[in-house]
Amino acid sequence: MNLLYSDYKNNIHVKWKQLIDDVNQAETYNPYCFEEDYYSIFRHIILSLLHGQHIILLDSDLSQEEISSMVNDMDISKSTKTLTLEKKLISKDDLLDRLIHTGADWSIILFTSGTTGLPKKVEHTFSSISANVKISERHADDVWGFAYNPTHMAGIQVFFQAILNGNTLVRLFGLSKEEIFRSFIDGKITNISATPTFYRLLFPMENKFNDIKRVTLGGEKLDTQLVDKIIAVFPNAKITNIFASTEAGALFASQGEYFLIDEHNEEYVKIDNNELLIHKSKIGKVENLTEDWYRTGDLVEIISDDPLRFKFTSRKNEMINVGGYKVNPHEVEEAIRKIEGINEVRVYPKKNSLLGNIICCDISTNNMDLNEKWIREYLKDKIQDFKIPRIIKLTDSIDKTRTGKIKRELG
Amino acid sequence: MDNLEKIGEIVNYIRKNKSLEEIDISHDLDLRENIGFDSFDLAELTVRIEAVYDIDIFKDGIVNTIGEILNIVEKK
Repeated sequence: MNLLYSDYKNNIHVKWKQLIDDVNQAETYNPYCFEEDYYSIFRHIILSLLHGQHIILLDSDLSQEEISSMVNDMDISKSTKTLTLEKKLISKDDLLDRLIHTGADWSIILFTSGTTGLPKKVEHTFSSISANVKISERHADDVWGFAYNPTHMAGIQVFFQAILNGNTLVRLFGLSKEEIFRSFIDGKITNISATPTFYRLLFPMENKFNDIKRVTLGGEKLDTQLVDKIIAVFPNAKITNIFASTEAGALFASQGEYFLIDEHNEEYVKIDNNELLIHKSKIGKVENLTEDWYRTGDLVEIISDDPLRFKFTSRKNEMINVGGYKVNPHEVEEAIRKIEGINEVRVYPKKNSLLGNIICCDISTNNMDLNEKWIREYLKDKIQDFKIPRIIKLTDSIDKTRTGKIKRELG
Repeated sequence: MDNLEKIGEIVNYIRKNKSLEEIDISHDLDLRENIGFDSFDLAELTVRIEAVYDIDIFKDGIVNTIGEILNIVEKK
């Protein structure tokens, strides 16, 4: 298998050979990865591994303002340093061998939407990020449909599963339905991992894809109707539902909506007041984590105690899941409040059959010149696109609860 | 105003918010290919149509064209 990465929409095909040449020729390294093109991101991660240098992944659509506050106003371009590979790569096998034996110094930093205000830093080592990667001959011919954002946890997990087995990655993220079907066939994809929203957008589907042998879903609550539809169009695929988080990576897998905690994991999992807790030894380094147990904020319903079996019911905190993206309503409200003439802001989810939820917002203002279009334009340089409310109502007053807090009911 | 005009008004409102120019709406226009909607725009469209017609156009799967939306709202 010669190809490392294919993007059929833009007709970009990168061979492993090109990666090896690019890595051998690289003369500088900057730990901040702020790139849009997928191959550049992949190359950046590989370069960091080979150099044993840490890497910080930033979404390419972050605004300057967001980045400045995430890196404490540092100028990230000044972090570039001269660095060349001492021992040049000689082959793909040589590369894979070196990646697997990556030093203990390497770490990767991702950002996750925090519960208050700004995104929160999560740091993983090579062993924590690759804990669920399975390397074997059986996976040597896998071709991965890449349907996640490459700078987010789920994308990184797929990247490592593919790259460490020497597989090809085929871009599916951000493509139209027809382009995705074409990529399935032209790319000879065998494995897909994506959010339920990604699959939902493929229906109705008349085609059947017999070559796809594994379909993984993660990032949102599973609906069983969707699973039935997926089985019908991918008749030879094994379906897996994954529970994962940026803090912990992929934690549990199941064939349906119920998760069974096996004996290897039982000591790392506990449930307190219906909330799922994970032992800190199982998760990456999270800012401000002082307890031994990490509270996931995910609420579960226990089906049986021994062995522990449960299903997810909802989120404890107010994070809004929009097609697999987590939106913190406080962060959005904070951005809107900076507009001149705003009295009150309330950001809330409304259930949506396509994305799970859609972000809505009520604004009370005495600024008569404000309108929906203007507010959305304004937010474009302040917060990422998926956080911008799609339905904005301008009113002269907003309901408050008796304690003076703004009501945040489900729409 | 007939249903085609009403749907057209909603579609153009969403386009306007994306700084896209107004377009003439017809039955065979594809929401993604011709109108340029992504999944977020489509989600917004469902909410705005539901507010007028009290029906979720994506409830039973994805619709692709303006004609398919009209079929759903007119069958109701």
